[in-house]
Amino acid sequence: MFLPRIFKSLELSVRERETHELLELNEKTKEYGLVLTPDEIKEILTVRDQVLHSYGRVELGIEVSKALIEQFCTSPYLDKDHYASTLMELHEIFYDLKNETEDDIADAELIDLLKKSFDEECAGSLELLKSRMEEFARQFRLEAVKTLEEGDEGA
Amino acid sequence: MEPVQNLRSVTLGGNIDRSRLKRNGYTISLLNEAVRTGWMSTQEVYAVQTGLMTKLQELILRYTQGKSTSVTTDTAENLMMSIMYAVDACMLQYEHPETAVAVLKSQPVDTIYEQGVGIVQKHFEEAKTLYQEIKKHKLEVPVDAYNMTIDESLPVFMNKYGVIFDAHNTMASIDYPLAIDDMQLQGVFYMKRYLERLWMETQFCRLFDRQELLELLADYGKVCRFDYRIELFNIFRLVLNNAIFSVLSGGAAERITISPVQFGRLVHLFEDTERIDSLIQTGIERVIAELNIREAEMTEYIRDCRPDLVQRLRTAAEHNVLHTVIIMRKKEKPKSIAVSFHAADRMDDRLLRKWIAQIAERQEIGDKIKLIRSNFHSLHDYLDLLESDTLYGEEYAALFDTFGDMELAILAKIVFYEDLRDDFPDFPSIVEAREGAEREWQQHFIHFLRQLDRSRLKSIGEYVDDIDYEQITFV
Repeated sequence: MFLPRIFKSLELSVRERETHELLELNEKTKEYGLVLTPDEIKEILTVRDQVLHSYGRVELGIEVSKALIEQFCTSPYLDKDHYASTLMELHEIFYDLKNETEDDIADAELIDLLKKSFDEECAGSLELLKSRMEEFARQFRLEAVKTLEEGDEGA
Repeated sequence: MEPVQNLRSVTLGGNIDRSRLKRNGYTISLLNEAVRTGWMSTQEVYAVQTGLMTKLQELILRYTQGKSTSVTTDTAENLMMSIMYAVDACMLQYEHPETAVAVLKSQPVDTIYEQGVGIVQKHFEEAKTLYQEIKKHKLEVPVDAYNMTIDESLPVFMNKYGVIFDAHNTMASIDYPLAIDDMQLQGVFYMKRYLERLWMETQFCRLFDRQELLELLADYGKVCRFDYRIELFNIFRLVLNNAIFSVLSGGAAERITISPVQFGRLVHLFEDTERIDSLIQTGIERVIAELNIREAEMTEYIRDCRPDLVQRLRTAAEHNVLHTVIIMRKKEKPKSIAVSFHAADRMDDRLLRKWIAQIAERQEIGDKIKLIRSNFHSLHDYLDLLESDTLYGEEYAALFDTFGDMELAILAKIVFYEDLRDDFPDFPSIVEAREGAEREWQQHFIHFLRQLDRSRLKSIGEYVDDIDYEQITFV
C-alpha cells in the first residue's frame, strides 16, 4: 500500500502548519499560565505520531491535540512545568482508549470523560487516570457484548 | 469543467508506456509513469497527493459521522482504496493515458473523485438491473452453486456494496465458476463483468431443451462419478462443448445429446490431434451460425472458450479418455434400483428425537437394533441417527449387519464420496486404502466393511457403481 509513502511525503510541509496552529492556542491558554514553546509542540506532535503508529491509527489533522489542549488548560492540576509532558501522556491515553472502546465513542465525549476523571477522582494523577480508563474500557466492552447477546436473543 | 477534448491538445505527443500502467491501481501507476516521462512535475504529483489526502480526511469524518478524526490504519487504508477506486474509474474512462494525465494536471482531485463516484454508481445501478434479469430468467437446474450464487450470494453484494466507503470491495463470496472469469477486476467492475457473463451463459443455455440439459448434467455426474448437484463446475461450457460436438458429428447445433454412434464419429475425428483446433474452430462457427447468435460479445465469449477445449480434447485423445470430455448419453437405469431407503417415510423431528431417546435407553444391542429397523425407513433418518452418536462400539456393526448390499452401497456412496470420484480401481481396494474418517459412525462403517469377504464387497461395489447420486434422496 502506498499510503505510508504519501503520508511521509506530506508530513514535512504539514508539520509547519500544525505547529503554527498549536502555537496560536497559547493565546487562549496563557491566561491559565500555560504556554507551549515551538520545540515542545514539535515534541508533542512527534510523540503523537509515534502513539498513532504504535496503536495502529491514522489521523490526518490535529483536532484531537487541539481539543486536549483546549479542554485541559482549565484543569487546576496542570502547571507550566508539567504541561507539555502531561499532554504527551494524554495523547497516549486517548488513542489507547479509542482503540479499547472500539471506536464506538466520539472524540469529544472521550475527551470530556478524560478531563472529568482527571480533575475529579484522579486528582491530577496520570497513573490513576490510566487505570481508571482501562477499567472503563473493560466495562464498556462487557456492556457491548451483553447488548449484542440480548439483541441476538431478541432476533 | 473544462472539456476534455481541449485538454488533449495540451499534452499530445504521447510517450507514456502503456505496458507500465496497471488495471488495479491505475492512477498511481499513471502518476509514476507521468513523472518518469516528464508529463508531470513532482510538484504536480504532490498536488494530486495532497488532494487525495484531503479527500481521505473528509471521508474519515464522513465514515465516523463527524464523531472521530482518527480511525484504525485498516479503516484508513480501506477508505483510501475506495477513493482510489473512484479516481481510477474516472481516469480509466479516457482512452488515452495522456488525456487522463491532462485531467489530473488541470482538474481538482475533488472533481475527479466525484466524477469517479458517479461512474461507480452508474455501474452499480446497471449491475442491479442485470441481476434482476438473471434472477428472472435463471436456469431451472438442480446445481447448488449456480442457484445459491444467484439466490444468496449476489443479493449480499447488491445489499452491502457501498459506493463511497467500500467501492473496491467485491463483498460477496461467489462460488459458481464462470467459463472465463476476469479475476483482475475488483468491486462493482468485477461484479458487473461477472453478471454480464453469467447473463450470456444463461441466455445461451436457455437456447436448449431443458430435459436434454438435465440429462447432460446427470451424464456428466456419472462420468465424473460425483454428485453434480453439489460440485463446482460451469454449465455453459458443458452445454457449449456438446453443441460443438453435436454439429461435428452430424447433429444439429441445438442438440446437446451425443449418441454412442456420434461419439464413435468424434473419436475418429479427433484421432489426429493436430486437426482438433481447426475442427473446434469450425464447430464453434457452425454453432454460432445455426443458433443465430448475433451479439458480438457472446460470439467473442464463445470463441474465447476454444483454446481450453482444444487443450482438453488433445490431452483426452492422447490418453484415450475422450469420454471424459465428450459427454455421451447414458442408458437409463431401472428405476427400482434405489428403493431400500424410502424417502417418503422420513419422520418429523419430534418423533425422530423420541425414537433416538428410546434407543439410547435400551440396554440390549438386539433391542436397539430391532427398534431402529422397525421404525427407521428413510436415509435421512438413518443419517440423523448415525450422526447423533447414539450408538456405541459394536452396536454400529450390529446395525450395519442388518443392511442388505444395496443399503450398504448407498452409505458407501456417502462415506467414500471423494474416493469414488473420477476413475477408481475397484471398491474393495478403496475400502482397503481408506485412512480414517471424520465421523465416528463412518469409522465403524469402514471397519465393518473391512470384515466382509471380498466377494460380498465386490457385490456391494457393483451397486456403488450402478447407483447415481441423483437416486439417493435425502429429503
